[in-house]
Amino acid sequence: MEVKAAMSINKFMKGAVAGWMTSHGEHSDIVMSTRIRLARNLRGFRFPISFTADEAKQVDSQVSAALLTSDEKGYAYMKMAELPGLDRQVLVEKHLVSPQLTDVKRHGAVILSEDETLSIMLNEEDHIRIQCIYPGFQLENAYEQADSVDNYLEDKLPYAFDEDFGYLTSCPSNTGTGMRASVMMHLPALTITKQIERIIPAIARLGMIVRGSYGEGSEAPGNIYQVSNQTTLGKPEEEILSDLKNVALKLIAHERRSREILLSKSRVALENKLFRSLGIISYARLLPSGEAARCLSDVRLGIDLGIIEDVDMSILNELMIFMQPGFLQQYAEADLTAEERDIFRADLFRERLRSEQQINENNKEN
Amino acid sequence: MLCDNCKERPASVIFTQEGMGGSAERHLCEKCAFQTQMFHFDPSQEPLSIQQFLSHWFSGSESIQPLQQSRDSMPEGPTCPDCKLTFRKFLDIGKFGCPTCYDTFRGQLPRVFSKLHNGHTTHVGKIPDSFNERFALKKKVEEIRSKMQEAIEMERFEEAAALRDEANALKERLAECGNGGEGSDVN
Repeated sequence: MEVKAAMSINKFMKGAVAGWMTSHGEHSDIVMSTRIRLARNLRGFRFPISFTADEAKQVDSQVSAALLTSDEKGYAYMKMAELPGLDRQVLVEKHLVSPQLTDVKRHGAVILSEDETLSIMLNEEDHIRIQCIYPGFQLENAYEQADSVDNYLEDKLPYAFDEDFGYLTSCPSNTGTGMRASVMMHLPALTITKQIERIIPAIARLGMIVRGSYGEGSEAPGNIYQVSNQTTLGKPEEEILSDLKNVALKLIAHERRSREILLSKSRVALENKLFRSLGIISYARLLPSGEAARCLSDVRLGIDLGIIEDVDMSILNELMIFMQPGFLQQYAEADLTAEERDIFRADLFRERLRSEQQINENNKEN
Repeated sequence: MLCDNCKERPASVIFTQEGMGGSAERHLCEKCAFQTQMFHFDPSQEPLSIQQFLSHWFSGSESIQPLQQSRDSMPEGPTCPDCKLTFRKFLDIGKFGCPTCYDTFRGQLPRVFSKLHNGHTTHVGKIPDSFNERFALKKKVEEIRSKMQEAIEMERFEEAAALRDEANALKERLAECGNGGEGSDVN
């Protein structure tokens, strides 16, 4: 297990872009990724909030034995307490583990699939958290994968389940299906036109929740929102998924319409804003994460609208992950202060965009 | 002063937002303040602060009021035998300590869940296959028992003995698939 973990960490950390960011799914111009999370607990063990170290070990060994000895689908196992701090931070930045899991005092571990679309957290708030992240808008596919892992585990291990309350979880907000489904959406036009402020309360009334996502701490969220189901009790999984799907489709339609209106009513002002942002990330010498997030959002919108042509979307996905502090430091192979990070981030953006330009120019010449 | 956001309800909360261009103050009503607060939550965290929710809701009134008042007078409620969590402590921390808590607080839970899950209190959806099997076995045992009782009353003792053996065999199977300390189910 030791040797296997060491090799896998290298592999996972070197491949900077997580599986869910590499390819594109449906509506990928607006929906960046889809995530399903199932919370499960084993019968006969207290929840992580009150269990003993011995119980934690037993839960860990039972679940990892069930998964790792399976037909070996290239799963890698990592114990949080055995990982360097920076590696843990990078896992968080890739959305593969939660910040809570990385608390080394708490017996957390994670099992990752080779393509990183599947991560199974052990001893987070619940004993087991099955998480699937897919690129683009793929609620059904992501659920299908999470569900099949759930079925596999359920066959091997006794789950804590109740006739009335369903899957028993540590937090009462997860009781029932234990499922949280979410879509990460880029909604710049709804944000620029301030429509999002009216939409968020409306969505809340439908039992969904919208939150800003991404960025360092509470800094500017780069117009990226996460829409997810708020309730887990009283509705079957299929209904939760179809409700979320409908809300997301409405948001997509609204965003598209707002983009058209922006283009038709203030094309020059919009082009000005988007190209200025491209200018900043191409030439800045200091790039704080909030500004980087805002500019990436503008450039992404520019590409979607066909205004900015010479930049590939995959570079933006890459930079979005790379701009985070853990990744920057891992790339720099050094601990960096906040200002050093801003310098390094600016260098990285410039280099990456320049190499892209060179490729484009070469292509044109040939 | 009216709420900056909805312009309908009176403002009761002042929000200070730190941004790139300095800090800005917003005067909001409780409803909008709550929504704003949700919006600024760390995305990696749970969507709602359950502790806040439960404390507010079960502090005696539906409205947001100083928590301490009613909490001090609130009884501890039942205590979970497995993790020693009391119902009051559960409301305080907003988390169950173990699966047995659900049994211990069963009577109080519909009220809690109703608040958290838009009025819903029971699970609909996926059921583990293993649980389906257990559930079916339990039902079968109950059925055989009532037949056995009937047979005894009618003094058909041979039939009753056969039913007893059948029930015992099923109970053994139940014990095999329920190895998580739920012995009381089997008896």
